[in-house]
Amino acid sequence: MLKTLRIAKREYLATVKTKGFILGLVLAPVLFAGSALAMVLFNDQVDTRDKVIAVIDRSGLVADALFEAAETRNAIAVYDAESGEKVRAAYVVRVVEPDEMEPDRQLLELSDQVRERNLHAFVAIDEGVLHPRTASAGAQIDYYAENAALDDIRGWLERPINSHLRRLRLVEAGVDTAASADMFDWVGVAPMALASLDPETGEISEGRRSSELEAVLAPLILPMLMFLLIMMGAVPLLNAVMEEKSQRIAEVVLGSVRPSQFMAGKVLGGVAVSLTAASVYLFGGVLALRETGYAEFIPYRMLPWFVIYMVMAIVMLGAIYAAFGSACNDPTEAQSLMFPAMLPVMIPMFVMVPVLREPESTFSTLMSLFPLFTPMLMLMRQAVVQSMPAWQPWLGLFGMLVFTLLAVWGAGRIFRVGILMQGTPPKVGNIIRWALHG
Amino acid sequence: MAVDDLALDVPRGSVYGFIGPNGSGKTTTLRMIMNIYYPDAGSIRVFGEEVRGASTDRVGYMPEERGLYRRMKVRDILRFYGELKNGDGVKREVDDWLERFDLVDWAHKKVETLSKGMAQKVQFIATVVSRPELIILDEPFTGLDPVNADVLREAVLELQARGSTVIFSTHDMNVAERMCDFIFMIFKGRKVLDGTLASIQDKYGSDTIRIRTEHGLSVCEDVDGVEKVTDFGKTQELRVGRGHDPQEIVATIMARTRVDGFELTRPSLHEIFVRIAGPEARNEAGEVPDA
Repeated sequence: MLKTLRIAKREYLATVKTKGFILGLVLAPVLFAGSALAMVLFNDQVDTRDKVIAVIDRSGLVADALFEAAETRNAIAVYDAESGEKVRAAYVVRVVEPDEMEPDRQLLELSDQVRERNLHAFVAIDEGVLHPRTASAGAQIDYYAENAALDDIRGWLERPINSHLRRLRLVEAGVDTAASADMFDWVGVAPMALASLDPETGEISEGRRSSELEAVLAPLILPMLMFLLIMMGAVPLLNAVMEEKSQRIAEVVLGSVRPSQFMAGKVLGGVAVSLTAASVYLFGGVLALRETGYAEFIPYRMLPWFVIYMVMAIVMLGAIYAAFGSACNDPTEAQSLMFPAMLPVMIPMFVMVPVLREPESTFSTLMSLFPLFTPMLMLMRQAVVQSMPAWQPWLGLFGMLVFTLLAVWGAGRIFRVGILMQGTPPKVGNIIRWALHG
Repeated sequence: MAVDDLALDVPRGSVYGFIGPNGSGKTTTLRMIMNIYYPDAGSIRVFGEEVRGASTDRVGYMPEERGLYRRMKVRDILRFYGELKNGDGVKREVDDWLERFDLVDWAHKKVETLSKGMAQKVQFIATVVSRPELIILDEPFTGLDPVNADVLREAVLELQARGSTVIFSTHDMNVAERMCDFIFMIFKGRKVLDGTLASIQDKYGSDTIRIRTEHGLSVCEDVDGVEKVTDFGKTQELRVGRGHDPQEIVATIMARTRVDGFELTRPSLHEIFVRIAGPEARNEAGEVPDA
């Protein structure tokens, strides 16, 4: 055991004493905080140049209303009320008579004007938009621009156009729209956290309003942090072991320790590296949130799970990466094994969004119970669904434990053979044979 | 098969030389002694005990290709390897050896900054810093300049004087002749020589004439009774055929040129090695000679 710890200590110091580790430790949160800050700062950096929008209104019903809506918006939203500074672009609506003879040519001419920056965009409103269900002619509204799909103006246009069309339909139906001022007012739906019972006071706490910060803080940041720590503690073992093998260091070390002790020391070193980084990030994160007044968003209940999942993930994946590294003879072979080796870490990243959206779906549950994905996906689900059945994380943990034991056992057998096998390429068949037969 | 049916005993406290052509199984045998490779059959006993993991703490091993962490500092790596063997007083030993090998100024430098010779000395220190009872060195003198080779040779002999047993493999027959109490030769995975230099040479008898003449090799060729001439430039070694008189051979050469000196001697280790593993022996065994 002492020898294993000595190897772990060397591995740990060899990593944490490097400038790269220290720099990475500092840079990761700086980059993260920096990008968040940049988003806030650059959010105000909008293009304030006026946007000229041409409108071809074949219905003859909408253009004037659109013109008025733009004027109203420009009057209240373009200039800052206090400073008088221009903070947004003004929308300038220019009505264009439809060319009934050559509509396609008109589209081309307007498109050219957009390309020449004379126009920002143009809208083509079909004749039948007032009653699209019964219209014999077209009933579409098309928005033409350089970046039409992501252009904010397209979203803005929908509301004044549809409000005006609704108003016209109500007038046709004989309803006096002037009788109700709030006929077209919009009421949003607020996201609220669940109410809960305080076990000490017996009081029922009302569900508080949950914010976007809360929605992403634990469910996204904790799995991302897990990913980062696996990348720091486990993934480097593949190249490290390959180097030790190719530089004959393994031969010297194996003169003093058994292969199992060697591998265990490497993996323990990786765990220690990850725990160091985790301590810095978790303590730093908690401190930062408390100091900035966001203490209520700290997911304390998740932290023990995070640490347990992380340690097991590093042991499980670290053993696998060390075994893969022992099968490689040079960096090229290590590179070729890196892609399949990275899949257990990459797949959870690919499915994060569907799991976050529907954390209680069968897909999410099954994915999070697969031992290789449990550390990231179960963690994410636990952060989102506070009322998750208790058996799920415990079953996930049990599955990880069993899989980790199997992985360490198999990896140990591969390592024992691979670390001294020179010139044999790391083919899947070889690796499986070594795992099965030693 | 790297090694086949090999039996050897290494007397405690001796310097034991391992010789043999490339690919004969020297390194594999040393690795098996170290328990790095496991033999398919048979047993290896070190200090009278079956080889197991724990016994390796009493054995220091220096592989042929150097195995040092390039980014570690010299002192740190020496302490790491020493402590990995559970060595006592490793810190003091490290300091002593660094001073002895004139590496004190390099103690805080990274291994990657060392020259090949320096790295070899560091590897040697890493092997002996835990004061092992058995020291196994695979090609320890390869690549060293004469000064450093002397330093290493003296260190090996001092370790022997302290009571350690030293096994080393080498291709330098002069080193083996001068340093080893016992010499073991392996060829094609089998033992072909094992004993003291004198006992090995005795088997071949005094069948060699070492001669120095005015005209060198040219006058030593085509002499009746000479089986083989080995040319060393200034001197030549003539192998005397069975049943022939060395006196007559010398007389024949003296008739051809002026002889500056000669001696009737036993074959050198180099000559014995070549007789066993050289092209001549392989031809006799029916092998295709090397190009």
